[in-house]
Amino acid sequence: MRRTLLGLLGTAALLLGLAAPALAFEPVNVVHTEKVQAGPYDLTVGFSTWPLKAMQSLDFTFAPEGGVADKKGTLTMLRDQKPVNDAPLARHPRKREVWGLDVRALPEPGTWTFRFDLDGPAGAATGELKNLQVMDQPGPPMGLSWAISTIPLFGLIAFIVVAWRRTRTA
Amino acid sequence: MDITAVAPSSRTVPRGLVPAGLVLGGTLISLVGLTWDIQWHSDVGPDTFFTLPHLFLYAGSAISGLASLVVVLLTTADTRRAKDVDPIVGGRAVGVFGRTFAAPVGYLISGTGAALFLVYGLWDQWWHGLYGFDAVIDSPPHIGLLLSISITMVGTVMVFAVAREQRWGTYGTVVGAAALLVFSMVTSLGLRAVPSALVNPVSVGTAFLAVMILVMAAHALDRRGGALAVGVTVAVLQAVFWWFSPWAAEVYADATGLPLRDYTDGIPAVPNMVPMCLIAVAVAVELLRRLPVWVSGAVGAALIAACAPLQRLLTYGAPFHVNGRYLATIVVAAAFGALAALLGRRFGHMLRLLAPAKENSHA
Repeated sequence: MRRTLLGLLGTAALLLGLAAPALAFEPVNVVHTEKVQAGPYDLTVGFSTWPLKAMQSLDFTFAPEGGVADKKGTLTMLRDQKPVNDAPLARHPRKREVWGLDVRALPEPGTWTFRFDLDGPAGAATGELKNLQVMDQPGPPMGLSWAISTIPLFGLIAFIVVAWRRTRTA
Repeated sequence: MDITAVAPSSRTVPRGLVPAGLVLGGTLISLVGLTWDIQWHSDVGPDTFFTLPHLFLYAGSAISGLASLVVVLLTTADTRRAKDVDPIVGGRAVGVFGRTFAAPVGYLISGTGAALFLVYGLWDQWWHGLYGFDAVIDSPPHIGLLLSISITMVGTVMVFAVAREQRWGTYGTVVGAAALLVFSMVTSLGLRAVPSALVNPVSVGTAFLAVMILVMAAHALDRRGGALAVGVTVAVLQAVFWWFSPWAAEVYADATGLPLRDYTDGIPAVPNMVPMCLIAVAVAVELLRRLPVWVSGAVGAALIAACAPLQRLLTYGAPFHVNGRYLATIVVAAAFGALAALLGRRFGHMLRLLAPAKENSHA
């Protein structure tokens, strides 16, 4: 029993020891920026990769001039002018001085628009980042990826079919 | 030095309980890792390969896989020495790779799931290298990983169902089925890839899987209260994870010096995927035992699909409208629920046949 407990404690220590140094999260590295004018507010939109490809995740930053402390707002993402998603502008978890989206991918290729509805000391205003081009996804077609990923399901079904047939007369 | 002291107590442990317990423990660790990981991404965010919730997921499959491997190797050794193999340990042994290995069928399935988890872990690493660490639970490799763990959980239910005539076998079947049911609610998110204009495929999928697993466990145990026991165990897991998931995410964030996201709603993600009406469904399965099984399946699945948006209204305040899609989802879920109940009954029967000698004595 003592040996088992020591083994369990050793395993737990190893797990925690591995987890601690591995938690060095990468900083947000902006490689491209675009300017958006929302009424009186100047907004800089930053991208951690450029150009954008569908399904490939990156960090987005949204930095209003004068900081985010006295402002709030909503981001609406549109693809081909159709709203896909909207959410309050939240601080980036790894770059708390600006708003942002951490490790987020745009799911489909096409022409995207980011609409910013801002409210602050100078009143409410809206601005848009238009014609954001998102290229086709890299990697294999999704059909192939799903085919590879559902092999366990079809394997389980095949096993069940065999077991079913063998137990049919039982 | 402790041999004489250990030997008498080791005889009191029922044969097959230790490896079965390890496999079940591994799946429960995987389940804890999953609910913690999803909550982490929802409430905190940053991802690496070696976060603590990820390590729980890896450790769970490793424990289940190694326990299964040891049982298969010991069974193979016993078979080669022409020793009797007791089918209470995971069911009858089957030949693998010809007759290279002799594997009790339950441990063959649980071990295969763990081995697949390794393969799909590599596939997931490649995927993240190409697409980045976007925390999307329903990406193809994640669904592959979830399916692999599900296979280990199916093997776990088989391992315990073999010993259902013993108390530990009954309890293990109930807990294993409950863990599989909770886990399947996340796996069914893969159905978001299916067109969803006419019906909600995730609601239909969760209803199908929940009914199938409930009915399967009830028929495997073949006693009154089997479905209700699984329903209550699911509710206990749901309640524990409801408290645990946000708490663990916040404690881990504090420990690593990371802030919670702005606008975090704090609603436990995985427990909220589990239908709160499941106990009512389990009661319906128990009360409608005298009717054809597909009736209780259809009623139960329709109830789950009908209550899904109400649960989202209750927890998230999400808007709820009775429209054509909502009604169509209930009807399609009822049809799939009828099928799920028929399949569940058959699977329960197959589980009972895993140990034929016990089957005779039970009758």
